[in-house]
Amino acid sequence: MGATEVVVRPRVVSPFQASLRVALRRMQVVWVGIRHSRTAMVGLAILVLFIGMAVFAPWLAPYGPIDRVADTSNCVPNISCPLSPPSAQHPLGISEEGSDIYSQVIWGSQISLIVGIFSAMVASVLGTAVGLVSGYMGGWVDEVMMRFNDVVLSVPWLVLMIIVAARIGTIDLLGLILVIGLTGWSITARVIRAQVLSVKERLFVERARMIGSSRSHILLRHIFPNAFPLIFANTILTVAVSILSEAVLAFLGLSIYNTVSWGKVINQAIGGGALVIGGNVWWVIVPGLCLVFLVFGFYLFGFALDEILNPRLRRR
Amino acid sequence: MARILKVMVRKVINAAITIFGIICLNYALLRLMPGDPALSLTPRDPKYQGLAEYNRELFGFDKPPWEQFVIYLQRTVTLDWGISYRLGLPVFDVLMRDLGWTLVLVGTSTVITIVIGMLVGSIAAQKRGKPFDLVSTATGIFLYGMPIFWLGFLLLATFEKGSIVGHYFTWWPALPSQGYYDDMLGQWAWDGAHLTSAAQHLILPALTLTLGTLAGISLVMRSSLIDVMTEDFVTTAKAKGLSDRQILRRHILPNGLPPMVALIALDLAFVIGGAYQVEVVFNYYGIGWETIQAIDNLDFPLLQFIIVVGGVAIVLANLVSDFILLLLDPRIKVS
Amino acid sequence: MLLEVKDLVIEYTTQSGTVHAVDGVSFNLDEGEALGLAGESGCGKTTTALALMRLLPYNGRIVSGSILFRGRDLVKVSDTRIRKIRWKDISIIFQGAMNSLNPVRNIGQQIAEPIVLHEAVEEQEAMRRVGELLELVGINRERMRDYPHEFSGGMRQRVMIAMALACNPKLVIADEPVTALDVMIQAQILELLERLRKELHLSMILISHDLSVMAETCEKVAIMYGGKMMEIGTTVDVFTDAKHPYTQGLVAAFPDIRGPRTMPASIPGDVPSLINPPTGCVFHPRCKFAFDRCTTAEPALAEVTPGRQAACFLYPEVPEVVLRTETVAAR
Repeated sequence: MGATEVVVRPRVVSPFQASLRVALRRMQVVWVGIRHSRTAMVGLAILVLFIGMAVFAPWLAPYGPIDRVADTSNCVPNISCPLSPPSAQHPLGISEEGSDIYSQVIWGSQISLIVGIFSAMVASVLGTAVGLVSGYMGGWVDEVMMRFNDVVLSVPWLVLMIIVAARIGTIDLLGLILVIGLTGWSITARVIRAQVLSVKERLFVERARMIGSSRSHILLRHIFPNAFPLIFANTILTVAVSILSEAVLAFLGLSIYNTVSWGKVINQAIGGGALVIGGNVWWVIVPGLCLVFLVFGFYLFGFALDEILNPRLRRR
Repeated sequence: MARILKVMVRKVINAAITIFGIICLNYALLRLMPGDPALSLTPRDPKYQGLAEYNRELFGFDKPPWEQFVIYLQRTVTLDWGISYRLGLPVFDVLMRDLGWTLVLVGTSTVITIVIGMLVGSIAAQKRGKPFDLVSTATGIFLYGMPIFWLGFLLLATFEKGSIVGHYFTWWPALPSQGYYDDMLGQWAWDGAHLTSAAQHLILPALTLTLGTLAGISLVMRSSLIDVMTEDFVTTAKAKGLSDRQILRRHILPNGLPPMVALIALDLAFVIGGAYQVEVVFNYYGIGWETIQAIDNLDFPLLQFIIVVGGVAIVLANLVSDFILLLLDPRIKVS
Repeated sequence: MLLEVKDLVIEYTTQSGTVHAVDGVSFNLDEGEALGLAGESGCGKTTTALALMRLLPYNGRIVSGSILFRGRDLVKVSDTRIRKIRWKDISIIFQGAMNSLNPVRNIGQQIAEPIVLHEAVEEQEAMRRVGELLELVGINRERMRDYPHEFSGGMRQRVMIAMALACNPKLVIADEPVTALDVMIQAQILELLERLRKELHLSMILISHDLSVMAETCEKVAIMYGGKMMEIGTTVDVFTDAKHPYTQGLVAAFPDIRGPRTMPASIPGDVPSLINPPTGCVFHPRCKFAFDRCTTAEPALAEVTPGRQAACFLYPEVPEVVLRTETVAAR
């Protein structure tokens, strides 16, 4: 051919950037899949609804989360006194401490979502890091990490959480997020590790090694993009679990003191005699239903995502 | 056969290491507690002041750390776990008794869950895309995300003696809901009255726990079976002229069960967690209930070994499931 | 005539739409004949094969057409009847036998399974036949109790062949029997298939995207594309004097070891979408001879020279396709 020399100047991009780019491109394909899946769209709709509730809480809720709306000296029995049943002014009634339950439920969405999402992110980052390193390095590193994982997995998480909580001291938002995040990484680590192990065996990794790529290079450019969709789907499911964990902790008394979460509302409801004759059942039922539907939304979306991301499942 | 033994031995060693790890973690956690460990082991009430000194000597807090650790290990192994000051009884005895009751609850619930879950899961997999599948899967996902304590309270409110519902519908069944057998019957004995009472008290808690965990099992069973159903060898089996039932029995189930067993084992940790909630809601005096009491009362001697007992139970359960898996899948035998 | 397939139409329902996997395919097979079903991946060959035994997956269905096997229309027979016909009269060898064998049972049990089922004999008795079959395909009968993962790819394919012959079927369908194997083993397996076919007087349908495989074993060959039949004729004739432009392209794309060292000409363009197939002739977007009529009307498969059928308007004898009327829904 002719003598024109073409100089190819490679774009200098760090391996991390490159792997992120590949990962993002894959996400675009996934988004198309999501749009086509009815399950995913329903789940997404539910999530959007609750996120909307959380974001617009200050405008949606007539009162603050712990505002005392009932003045015991000067209230109308069964309408604006503490422990009132649902009425036109207070659609879900008033709690024992004098707060408007309807507002509490709306404000509660904030805590459930914030704690759920952020603690899941902590757990996910930690679990993914452990899973990636453990799966890829193999050998004694893997053994040690998996033994530690077993220990964390085996100890009843409730006890672990309470002890970690006691160590941290008073519970504030950050504390709660850390507690749930630091105890929830074990399953993620196992799942990611399994995926890394199966990807490791694949030919293209062999070939990369033969060309002499460094370990970190392989990890970033080949293994991470392949594991990324799984990491994402797993995180969604972890959020659902975290939301439930927060509810259980709140129910047991471990909740943030200057605001409410749905678990705390249920706790107060039981304490306030919502389920005895003459009590206000909606006080218990509504926050519980909110939890159920929110988690339902996450699971629907997570399951649908799992089907989209796993090509073998799609074939079915 | 020798190879299976080698793998089994390896798993037992792993389990032992994990248990050791739990014991060490336990030790570390106590020392990580803010303040004087001897005081942690003693209730805050001033009248127990002398007990603090006693504890300090007993646990050797005045001795160097590594010696403390050895003492701790010794006492753990010899089952000398101290005295719960809330109950005034040896920790070991209390925990063993509680563990027994929790196992009854978890055991009953797990058996029912596995039987029904597997049944529902396999029918849903076979009738895939049809109404049964859609309804059961949607219900499953719905139940899966239900907070167990909430479900428990709703069931409690519906079925306990003097419930709201019972108030309006006099024919509505009322079930006992406090403790694990009728207090009036006194000390436990293996006779009809006690057994009946225990069974009655088991209904609501077991029902709650079953409903909470059923969904998980049936959903996993369904996906596991569908995974297998799309494998080529199932088409081969169909091509041979086998009926759907024969294919299910001989080809699908033997391949679909191993991942199920593995997943059930992993789920066990969550079932235990659920059991805790159920015990609190129904005042069922098992390990879970005891844990919450111990935390509320800062009964550290008890708390310490609850971690160990709970952890060991899960490790052993996983070991058993690993063994079952080993026997089921010939590929593992040779790999 | 052992097998007469007429105007077979098969659809799959997927989330992205209805896939017209097979759209009006017809061909015949005589006793003792070997027919090669060739075409690119996704053209409908495997779907056709599965349909012959009513083995379509849960989202596939036979929309219309007939499959006459020894005079009986397999599309219309009951489920019980088709189960009796499966393996006893028609059996199938799948590609990539790794997953085609149950990993948790040994091969002896799997080969014996259809024998016990169809011939009502005890497993003991069946095992004797299993031993014979294994020897027939060149596997030591001592390995009867071994598991599939203990065999190499080529050996597993031999196991599949032994299994396919277990009930002395009249027709054996081989779906890409050698695709997953390396060339040396390919030759061995093909030779084995040929030998067995002649010895046992079997009829065979061999499916492959690899024309060379067909050239060695089949007397007749049928070329499929986009879910439709493009050309049918004897192997020698079709390969030396291809009538349909697609077949010409396929044959030309095959490198000749004795020919000049140039890149073989490939057919430009991509395979058509089976959800939205092109109007008119399904091949016209990639055909260098395409003219106006090709974009609006669909050519039917018709005889263009004695013993040769092609679906192309280049030949005046070829009429247009008439819309089908009768619908049947079976799987």
